[in-house]
Amino acid sequence: MLAAIAKQLKSHPALIPLLFFISGGGAMSFMYLARLGLKNPDVCWDRKNNPEPWNQMAPTDQYKFYSVNIDYSKLKKNGPDF
Amino acid sequence: MAHPSQLGFQDAASPLMEELLMFHDHALLVVFLISAFVLYIILAMITTNMTDKYILDSQGVEIIWTILPALILILIALPSLRILYLMDEIDSPHLTVKAVGHQWYWSYEYTDYADLAFDSYMIPPQDLTPGQFRLLEADHRMVIPVMTPVRALISAEDVLHSWAVPALGTKMDAVPGRLNQTTFVASRPGVYYGQCSEICGANHSFMPIVVEVAPLEHFEAWSSLMLEDT
Repeated sequence: MLAAIAKQLKSHPALIPLLFFISGGGAMSFMYLARLGLKNPDVCWDRKNNPEPWNQMAPTDQYKFYSVNIDYSKLKKNGPDF
Repeated sequence: MAHPSQLGFQDAASPLMEELLMFHDHALLVVFLISAFVLYIILAMITTNMTDKYILDSQGVEIIWTILPALILILIALPSLRILYLMDEIDSPHLTVKAVGHQWYWSYEYTDYADLAFDSYMIPPQDLTPGQFRLLEADHRMVIPVMTPVRALISAEDVLHSWAVPALGTKMDAVPGRLNQTTFVASRPGVYYGQCSEICGANHSFMPIVVEVAPLEHFEAWSSLMLEDT
């Protein structure tokens, strides 16, 4: 299959940027979904050892992909410890 | 508030709304540029005297019209995602107000320091005084201090409602049995209007939201007055 793609790219070089952007976009989307599935505290994978990850969230952890203004490493816990 | 035959957004009353306005200007400019370019190409193609009009293959122009739109989309996506994450940030609110939707009025509760709660009904058109806005005025306004991060907890008592104030750039659905949180900072004093933004029955269009932003001393005087009355 790769040979067929390479042959097409040689005869139509305009397909190279197309391949780059489409596969790049697809890879970024897949990686973001994988990040959501694996690192989002709303998701529970291990019912025995870590049943409710949303109850183990520290104030210094950044769970979002990008933080504009807030520096999470400097935050302190506001509520009481249970 | 909005004025007659208004086309654009209301002036921003919060930093977030300013960001949204700037992004809208940016995205709209891109749209205008692309539309102008397409219009030019159409006119050029209709009026050309060239004989060789039916070219079937050109690698060069295909490369350009792949890379350029991709770059334009990235140029739009980066500020958009930045604002998306900015909207979710919560920066130590100084005041918490609960806005609860009912059929067909809002009720506000300020319970940080005392038990202040009141209902906010629309002023019917026949009771308006000259200068007041039809279908937008309410008998009791939600007063908040200026330049103060405010946390609004939105919920509903019966059916779905939505608490929206366009000038502040906020909208949050009021879901019965659920507490939704949104935060904002009002950066200038004034009176800002919004309307219920989720269909909720016969008088859905007649339950407006009025936020009055005042300096802290005025807010404190108002809340003392409201506590005496209730």
